[in-house]
Amino acid sequence: MISSIKKTSLAEIKARLEQHPIEAVIVGTGISGAIIANELTKAGKNVLLLEAGPGTNLTLQGYNEFLSNFYGATSKDNQAPYPVNPNASMPRSTNLRKLQPGETDSATYMVQSGPYVTDTNYTRVYGGTTMHWEAKTPRMLPEDFKSQTLFGQGVDWPLGYDDLEEFYQVAEREIGVSADVEDQSYLGVTFPKDYVYPMKGLPLSYLDQQVAKRLDGTEVELYGQRYPLKIRPFPQGRNGIPNDKYDRGQGYVPVGAVSNHQIEIGERCQGNTNCVPICPVQARYHSGKTLAKAFQRATGSIHLLVQAVASRVVIDPVSGRVTALEVKVYKDPKSSEHETVTIAATIFVLASNAIETPRLMLASGLRSSSGLIGRNLMDHSYLLSWATMPEICGTMRGTSVTGGIIDLRGGAFRRHQAAFSVDIHNDGWGWAVGSPYSDLTTLVDQYNLFGPELRRGLINRISSQLLLAFMIEVMPSESNRVTVDPQYTDQLGNMRPVVSFTVPEYTMRGAAYAREFARTVFARVGAADQSRYDPGDYGYVAYNGQGYAIRGGNHLAGTHVMGNDRNRSVVDTNQRSWDHPNLYLVGGGSMPTIGTANVTLTLAALCYRSARSMLDQLQ
Amino acid sequence: MSQLEPFLAFSAEVTAFPIVELQGTGQAESYLQTVEDIVGTQRLDRLLVLYQSLPLATREDIRQARADRLRRDIFGSDELGPIARNIIKLWYSGTWYELPSAWTEAYGPAPQDVTFVVAPSSYVEGLLWTAIGAHPAGAKAPGYASWQWPPHIPPFAGDPAATPR
Repeated sequence: MISSIKKTSLAEIKARLEQHPIEAVIVGTGISGAIIANELTKAGKNVLLLEAGPGTNLTLQGYNEFLSNFYGATSKDNQAPYPVNPNASMPRSTNLRKLQPGETDSATYMVQSGPYVTDTNYTRVYGGTTMHWEAKTPRMLPEDFKSQTLFGQGVDWPLGYDDLEEFYQVAEREIGVSADVEDQSYLGVTFPKDYVYPMKGLPLSYLDQQVAKRLDGTEVELYGQRYPLKIRPFPQGRNGIPNDKYDRGQGYVPVGAVSNHQIEIGERCQGNTNCVPICPVQARYHSGKTLAKAFQRATGSIHLLVQAVASRVVIDPVSGRVTALEVKVYKDPKSSEHETVTIAATIFVLASNAIETPRLMLASGLRSSSGLIGRNLMDHSYLLSWATMPEICGTMRGTSVTGGIIDLRGGAFRRHQAAFSVDIHNDGWGWAVGSPYSDLTTLVDQYNLFGPELRRGLINRISSQLLLAFMIEVMPSESNRVTVDPQYTDQLGNMRPVVSFTVPEYTMRGAAYAREFARTVFARVGAADQSRYDPGDYGYVAYNGQGYAIRGGNHLAGTHVMGNDRNRSVVDTNQRSWDHPNLYLVGGGSMPTIGTANVTLTLAALCYRSARSMLDQLQ
Repeated sequence: MSQLEPFLAFSAEVTAFPIVELQGTGQAESYLQTVEDIVGTQRLDRLLVLYQSLPLATREDIRQARADRLRRDIFGSDELGPIARNIIKLWYSGTWYELPSAWTEAYGPAPQDVTFVVAPSSYVEGLLWTAIGAHPAGAKAPGYASWQWPPHIPPFAGDPAATPR
């Protein structure tokens, strides 16, 4: 779509501040900030969006520069497309190392205080982490909202599945989810009668099908209960074939690529196998699509200030209300030269993610009366298991993931061990060992192959790769947390996040079972297990005499938890701060638990719900 | 004199992609330039002269003798082997890989010898993707739902799977 989004200069913002009071300042242009901006401007509210990055990707040309950066990058990690910016740094997996007991590593932006080293990351550019997300959009299970009551684990949500169902639908419309209800109705997940997703489900990959033909219909037994297995497609936030039954037969019009001129791409996924770290054609949702709608509709009442890093939340000590936000506006990413501006507004919305939002609160000296800001940091723990299929399966084609196993997302076993969802990775062993590059260097440098033997060797080795990624649930723990420390600051003098994390034993029990489960799957499909976990790996965790390399999932949550009791939560069910009545902390940080659902769809649903409360407050 | 012709001939033999396909990537000149810049023109010349002196493979027994010589004299050379292997990796991935430290100690220094992608287009034109019937992640997309079908892996001359020996 054509977008009228443009940056507004600092001088212009200052001039406007004197004439038109701002009703809402939103920190961050990721999906949370975008949804709230869009909802508030729909109601005619005057909104200022702050983005820490330079916003070069507002145009197609800028977006494509990210793609070109990716092509030219030696490491194709999550951050490969996004330029280093010392004024708005991002965690990056390529810079990590294993910690000795008691050691802290401050060499990377996100200080690792251990003992576990997490490679979780987020992207501080226009569009936030939706620029690199994979866009799997499962709903949480109804049982996920009651894990304390049902399983004696974690905490119950103050909301239930039924409270969120209508908002899930709105989020699925906005993201543009491709899925079929019949594939997604499982383990208690229900949809209203006649509901269909906006677009039809993406087909399973050939690799998925090769696994399915041998695995489907088999069962596993866990704590006395049997669980049937089936390879199912995941719901995906990327454009497929619109479902003409959507919206009671009105159909759905996908949003393609966004730029300031007409472009004819992004209508439908082309199978670039590159959802992470950047979809080259914008068939995959990113929050720029939502912001484009807001700017299209409400030119004049929504403004975007880029290179603007929120640095301090200023509070009236008597009322607790936020009076202003201090923002450092820098001139150039390479230089610390900046101007500090103070921005007043009626309400303030921090939407920067579950690490940056508590970081900003703590850097402002706002610990919350519950003391829970920054605590209960959650992220899914990933365990990878990889193998060679008995035949050529055409690995390295499709979206990053099309199918997987969801049958162990729920069940009575959750009293004892964490649940998990399993992805079949269409990009082979890339995540685990750097395929296909590592295959090339191994065959050329170690196996001494060249000519036809090399070419055949590559086919056999790469096209038969199977990687199962187990996304394992992590329950809240107050000692898993984000803090700040004045000795660790960035180029602008803002305090950096310091993360302490221990993978909970409940999760490790799930991981140990995941490894057994992978062996069972490999046995059933006749695949040769190639998994190995190096004790020198930064994410290596020993449990019950076995070692596992645990990866982060970039599904950050929990650090400003919502609840009904102001002494045991940071925000209420509208994501409004208990302590500061005109401050909203939105996003994954509000989620009390994460179950086995990638967090974006649920946090998007929560933002739609919260936007109503914000509008009430702005009346 | 340009070394492009012998460079392409050598590259074709060691990658198992015909010269026309190598030329089709549009990368030949920049790869040749990359190798020359890093290891020096004279050293590359020596590799190519040695390559051109190999017996012509017109008969099966000579073909074997040629492969043996290629392995022993070029890939088996402490000096030329790492360069030959890097030329293969360049064509397959668009990446120049830093030479082994033993090579640099013996024949270096080579100041530009770091791992890098020659150009964004080199990544896109890597032979790896063609070889396995896929596409470079993020480019040359095969189209919606194409992933549900078996891969089309292009046949090639000398495929050991196609012509059992």
